[in-house]
Amino acid sequence: MSDELVPEVVGKPAVAGAVAEASPVPPVSPERAAFRGVSGTKRTTKGWFLDTGWRHLVGLAVVVFALFPVLWVLSAAFSTTGLNSQSMVPEEVSLDNFRALMTDDNHPPFLTWMRNSMLVGAITSIVTVFLCALAAYAFSRLRFKGRRPGMTFLLLVQMFPNLLALTALFLFMDRVAKSFPAFGLGTTWGLILIYLGGALGVNTWLMKGFFDSIPRELDEAAKVDGATHAQIFFKVILPLAAPVLAVIALLSFVASQSEFIIADVILGQNDQQRTAAVGLSRFILAGFDSRWGPFAAGSLIVALPVVILWLFLQRFVVTGLTAGAVKG
Amino acid sequence: MLGLVVKFVLLMAVNALVLLGIQVMLSAGEGKNVIYAVVAAIALVVIDYIYLSPRAIAGKYLLPGTLFLLVFALYPVIYTMYVSFTNYGTGNILAKGQAIERIEQNSIGAAEGAVRYDLQIVAEDAPTGALAYLLTDTDGNWFLGTAEGLAPVATEDVDQSTTKPTIAGYVALNAGAAQDRADEIAAFRVPTEGGEIQNDGFSEAFAKLQRLKYDSATNTVVDTVDGTAYTEKDGAFVSADGDRLDPGWRAFIGTANYERINSENVRGPFLRVFVWTFVFAAGSVLLTFGLGLLLAIVFSNERMKGRKFYRLVMIVPYALPSFMTALVWRGMLNQQFGIINRVFGFDLPWLDGQWMPYASILMVNLWLGFPYMFLVCTGALQSIPGDLKEAAVVDGATGFTAFRRVTLPLLLITVAPLLIASFAFNFNNFNIIYLLTEGRPPVSGSVAGRTDILISYTYKLAFSGGRGQDLGFASAISVIIFAIVASISAFSFRYTKAFEEIK
Repeated sequence: MSDELVPEVVGKPAVAGAVAEASPVPPVSPERAAFRGVSGTKRTTKGWFLDTGWRHLVGLAVVVFALFPVLWVLSAAFSTTGLNSQSMVPEEVSLDNFRALMTDDNHPPFLTWMRNSMLVGAITSIVTVFLCALAAYAFSRLRFKGRRPGMTFLLLVQMFPNLLALTALFLFMDRVAKSFPAFGLGTTWGLILIYLGGALGVNTWLMKGFFDSIPRELDEAAKVDGATHAQIFFKVILPLAAPVLAVIALLSFVASQSEFIIADVILGQNDQQRTAAVGLSRFILAGFDSRWGPFAAGSLIVALPVVILWLFLQRFVVTGLTAGAVKG
Repeated sequence: MLGLVVKFVLLMAVNALVLLGIQVMLSAGEGKNVIYAVVAAIALVVIDYIYLSPRAIAGKYLLPGTLFLLVFALYPVIYTMYVSFTNYGTGNILAKGQAIERIEQNSIGAAEGAVRYDLQIVAEDAPTGALAYLLTDTDGNWFLGTAEGLAPVATEDVDQSTTKPTIAGYVALNAGAAQDRADEIAAFRVPTEGGEIQNDGFSEAFAKLQRLKYDSATNTVVDTVDGTAYTEKDGAFVSADGDRLDPGWRAFIGTANYERINSENVRGPFLRVFVWTFVFAAGSVLLTFGLGLLLAIVFSNERMKGRKFYRLVMIVPYALPSFMTALVWRGMLNQQFGIINRVFGFDLPWLDGQWMPYASILMVNLWLGFPYMFLVCTGALQSIPGDLKEAAVVDGATGFTAFRRVTLPLLLITVAPLLIASFAFNFNNFNIIYLLTEGRPPVSGSVAGRTDILISYTYKLAFSGGRGQDLGFASAISVIIFAIVASISAFSFRYTKAFEEIK
């Protein structure tokens, strides 16, 4: 769930910048002298290679390793062959797989799955941010009994993602379904409720950290003008915290798109309510070779918004990863 | 002012919804659940108190998230513990009362020498009316059987003027009319004392006897034919010979599920899963951290051009939804069709055999996880003051010694909590195991395959083991996972000392 990802979005700049090697060091060997360009000599090719050139070779290897599977899916999505005869560069580029997924007779309800995924992602992320912001405000601005234990408790809860209680969630939602069929087992609403159970957690810590960095003088000024605590929250804190709210919303959206196991248990029996992750997984597991192409096409559609969000987010997230992320 | 109005409208809406919910939970039927209703009522009182009282300001902000946390995160944990002490699962899914009803119902069958009747199917008032059977036993006595029961009919009341007899208020169905309602007739039963009457074609019927009867005074089920008594044991009725009546019901069975882990059939597979879970989690952390650190060092050279590009590319495996990449790798590693074997000309069973699946899983997880470790190490390296390393070099340390003695220890201090967190995450990394191998290759005689980790083992036991749902036992395994995760977090808290930083 959203708790997999734990960015710290303080105002630090992203990774680039001040690395340690700035101060001059006595040259130890001719090579070192060469690549440090100390005595003002022109850099030779050999010097360049020993300095940074070989790093590009490593880089090239990494790029191949990292992108190979991605290109493979890309090629599978646009080719006309099955898994057994697919080649890296498709002989014929076509949209057949997309068609098979969406318009053919007997096509899976892929668009319904996508809609479910979007619905689950949107509602989960928006409500998560709201619940988190409320709690973070209390922890940041109010002093009350049980504040420290409360924060510790949230950190502890984070250690037990609710997928561990899978069997109980299943039985519980089954009971819920008997009283409230719209929110029980087999419904996206039920899934959303479970995801919201994981809303508070390290995210709250992150948000609290950000709230702490908003000057208290602003609160005080508002208070002097007669604002209530609710007005301070909605009109002072929230607008100023917009960046962190956005980042946590996006991260929890992204996480909800890849969550598989809880969604599978809750929605597995109901084809029309499945998210794209569950729908596509079950689709391909039922017949690998013949469904390879449409699966690849569907995966691309699911992955595209997620990857774009990530590329957009990475500068916020990169530094924060060092502050306690869990994914990996 | 507007705020106040919104608050009261919201509060009234919540009150209305919860009261409605309580009403639903108290009304009879499948969903009846008094305990949940009481909890909901208490929650409502708390909500109203907190939002109406001028005090409890912190409560107003903490309550919404906390409610979700309690209901959908904490309660399931407690419920898991409870279920782990029960026999919940296929064959034990009903409440006791339902199970007894089902047992009695299932025992209804044609007894030897069952009474047979001649049958005339009739319907009330019109051919489309409620079905009923007009029956004659071998002694010529007439009966009218309806869905309510069997009643004798005086012979003179029967209109036998045509070939199809009827009585007042009913019309006889001819073969065509009966055929039209064949499905209804097949499902139609006339309940009788100790059994029921069922049709046999359209012109005959026979009595069936209820063989098993529950005696609530002694809490036993008795076989009315041979007199066998079945007594209650672990949520089912069992005879002295050990015959079990199905279905059972959910019952408290003490620590039996935990003892089962140590039983002969389960101990071996469980240990294998247990060890592999640790190896998988630790191996994943070591490999991803190793490669990530190596790359972070390689790309830490400021003069290197295009570092941003490399970082962007490396984010891609991390950014893709992991359910999808696990499945893609599964296709790529397919022995017959997979690209890896075809491109490199191998014929390797990547996901089969003794050791290959383990190596493949670790490799795929390396692919998924190294970007994260790269980002983490890059950040951590930059946070290490440069003068420390310089000082070591000035003191005559070679680059490598300086790294090993100065940089690495400092780096580990920063990333240790993350490594522990990553370990905990991989410990329950269901996606990669299940979607890459589904725990295969299978091991005969066990639900757990060769590559299953604890969480996927739990999933299979509970939902897809091929032996029905074994929810009680699965919960017992979950509780063990809780215990392990709790130990890991206790360990990690000692390192991070996060609490002390709370301002």
